[in-house]
Amino acid sequence: MKYVIAGIVIVALMAVGYFALVSGSVPYEDIARAEQLGKTVQIVGSWVKEKGSSYDEKNNIFRFTMKDDQDREIPVELLGAKPNNFEIAISVVVKGRVENGTMKASNVLTKCPSKYESGPAKS
Amino acid sequence: MIGQLLIHALFGSAVTATALYALSIRTQNSVYTKWARGIFRGLFAGLVLTSLMLIIDIVQHRFEYTYVWSYSSTELPLHLLIACFYSGQEGSFLLWTLLVAAIGVFLLQYSKKRGYEQHVMVVYGAILCFLTLLLVAKNPFLFYWESFASQGILPADVPLQGKGLNPLLHNAWITIHPPILFTGFASMTVSFAFAMAGLMRKEYQQWINVALPWTLFGTAILGFGIMLGGFWAYETLGWGGFWGWDPVENSSLIPWLVSVALVHTMLIQRRTRGLVKTNMVLAVSAFVMVLYSTFLTRSGILGDTSVHSFVDPGNFAFWILLLFMATFSIAGISLLLIRRKDMDVNREEFSSTTREFTTAIGAALIMASAIFVTVGTSWPVIMEIMGLPKVAVATDYYNNVHMYLIPFVLILNAISIAFQWRKTNFSVFKKRYLVGAGVAIVGTAVTYAYGIQEVGFLALAFGAWLSLAVNAATGFRIVTSSPTSAGAYISHTGFALLIMGVITTSSYTVHHHAVLVQGKPVQVGEYVLTYEGKEQIEKHFTDREKFKYHVNIAKDGSSKTVSAVLYWSDYNKRQSAFLEPGIRWGFLNDLYVSPKATGVEDVGETITVQRGVSNKLPYDTSVVVTIERFTMPMEEGPGPNGEIQIGAVINVQTANGAAVEQVKTVTQITNSDAGMEFIPGWVSIPGTSVIVGVTKIVRNNADPSKSTADLTFRKTSDQSAAPRETFTIDFSVKPLISLVWIGVITMVAGFFFSIVRLIRNSKSTTTNRVD
Repeated sequence: MKYVIAGIVIVALMAVGYFALVSGSVPYEDIARAEQLGKTVQIVGSWVKEKGSSYDEKNNIFRFTMKDDQDREIPVELLGAKPNNFEIAISVVVKGRVENGTMKASNVLTKCPSKYESGPAKS
Repeated sequence: MIGQLLIHALFGSAVTATALYALSIRTQNSVYTKWARGIFRGLFAGLVLTSLMLIIDIVQHRFEYTYVWSYSSTELPLHLLIACFYSGQEGSFLLWTLLVAAIGVFLLQYSKKRGYEQHVMVVYGAILCFLTLLLVAKNPFLFYWESFASQGILPADVPLQGKGLNPLLHNAWITIHPPILFTGFASMTVSFAFAMAGLMRKEYQQWINVALPWTLFGTAILGFGIMLGGFWAYETLGWGGFWGWDPVENSSLIPWLVSVALVHTMLIQRRTRGLVKTNMVLAVSAFVMVLYSTFLTRSGILGDTSVHSFVDPGNFAFWILLLFMATFSIAGISLLLIRRKDMDVNREEFSSTTREFTTAIGAALIMASAIFVTVGTSWPVIMEIMGLPKVAVATDYYNNVHMYLIPFVLILNAISIAFQWRKTNFSVFKKRYLVGAGVAIVGTAVTYAYGIQEVGFLALAFGAWLSLAVNAATGFRIVTSSPTSAGAYISHTGFALLIMGVITTSSYTVHHHAVLVQGKPVQVGEYVLTYEGKEQIEKHFTDREKFKYHVNIAKDGSSKTVSAVLYWSDYNKRQSAFLEPGIRWGFLNDLYVSPKATGVEDVGETITVQRGVSNKLPYDTSVVVTIERFTMPMEEGPGPNGEIQIGAVINVQTANGAAVEQVKTVTQITNSDAGMEFIPGWVSIPGTSVIVGVTKIVRNNADPSKSTADLTFRKTSDQSAAPRETFTIDFSVKPLISLVWIGVITMVAGFFFSIVRLIRNSKSTTTNRVD
């Protein structure tokens, strides 16, 4: 009897974990796929520097244009201020969903060239 | 040079001490033990010396060492210079090793008295072998010219200034949080060593009593360290919350969860002699999870999934970490498998209405939480290994699984406290439980009335009230007769309080975005906020101009000024701001001002126009303005202080197309490091009460006709108004977040009550030596 209960509990826990994992996992996609899917994804790419960036402080939106590995570009609107180390980032990971051709981002992670182990200073 | 030699010597002595301990077990010759002891203490002394050398090198600013150059500078105050010791990967490995060895010195004495020395110390020594080997690979005494020899740096090239400590770390927390966290990590080693010793000696009961105080100590300290990290993130880093399920946070949480489960199962074994294998498995897992977490966060394999910066440790260190983890997992698992049959002798059946049974189920649920967090944190790596597209796990995953788990954990906890060991007397159970259930029902109803209507949160609230009531009642009864016995109840009460804090902050926190103009009160939610101005602090640092921004928060006649910090630093080439929130602390709620941006008020309205394109005039739409042409700097000549001057000739027309008038406005342009600055010369627009100036010009070199200008219009009455500073913030009210901190501190305090009691007991009962 105890083993049956234990079994049921374990199965229930695994089910909870599985569904949470499925609903909580955010796949990495490129821009084309993200446009197709229209659900929350992550896109790895880089900031198109030439197109600039701006922070709209009234509405708390940070805007920039990103480019993915396929060189496709998309405007990004991040709800929030400019992420840390944005300018020096070699790549950005943008989490959000595409709506009307704009990536509405909830989070932007910046990946920096390893700042602690960079080259020697000019002395 | 001495430093590098010393580190190799440390590795040598760790290996020797371990080998001697192994020999002493094999030969039972106490001469080996004596030597091993001496060398082990020598190893600790050597580590103290190494650490002192590193600290002295940092304090003396000896930038010929790569490590000193990388993490410190001459501008830092002493307490931060000391923190530089472990701000880099090499130093943090050194700190870890130092603390493991320091605990080892106490452990040596402790296990010697209890006849466990040789077996415990041989395991402990083996762990130190790996740690010192890591130091050899990640040596903090590497010379600058050695690190950069390939770039043509010669031994004579010594940098004059270091790169400095990351400004994020410039606060007292860096001096406190890492040493405490690493002490917790280091203590996890002890339970493991005792478990392995127990397995080797085929003693499956006694080790529990000996190891329990250490397990409690490690769990308490690690828990406290984790909380300090959360507090740091909340108080200084301005992340807004105290927990974000970030891989680095998770990596300290996982070993903690396993050791919380272990504490419970060890207590069960002490009472019932059951769960022998479970305890062995958990003691091994707690330590292996410390290694696994270290591997995940230090090997760089999680890459871009965390807000913490990961540094690739280099190939050699990567493989040592992997080997470290593999060795002890395999050693632990094989020993467990070899002794599997042996341990079956102590098999125990628990009746399901006892404290031991319900506590065991609770411990299993805590392990489930540990497994969920481990799977979530490792998910990107798991997917990569399976060759599937990389997937990150959102924080929703962790929140969702715990929404299911934690209510059960809390309810089980209340039931198990109401049950008795061995056999429950049901009249006692009813008395204990019914009161708790009553409180929980009323409490949940109140919570519901206050607006929390989500089922998950209500279940959580019910569990928290129940556990709080049962533990507080039982604890109170016990504390009056024997204070030190109340540890468990105190800890559980703390946990229930923590969960209540989590419920209130996650369901009631209200965020407001606001742009504050200096001196102008703004109604934000229930509060009136006024930005009062800024004040420069820490002027002796040359890499930054750090400002405090004072914001006054007023409500119902009482007011308080908090100061948020926002600044740029050369450390990251002024690419993005460093932020610290301003907080008004309170028991009932915290008011949290998180800075976002600073700027200058727009007085008037600005439109961006191209030459030749007509625009309606703001404030007075009966007029249309068009830029006819720009005048060249040569035409205008230099300004009073040699500024470049550009003019714009503007056609002014009424909307019906009648009479054209022309005005010219000249803008002075200065060029500095901060970028171009435009100082407009205001001219009034004929026939209106509006003035205009050019506040920005963006040249299009490819096609000059597409160059744009920002025309700013103001009412004539605002002409003299100097634009005021603005301060953009995120303002939030966090109700009862104090419960989170009070809860964790109470939880940790409970552990120390239990430790005191165990030590007292062991002094009075087990003075007999077991060898």
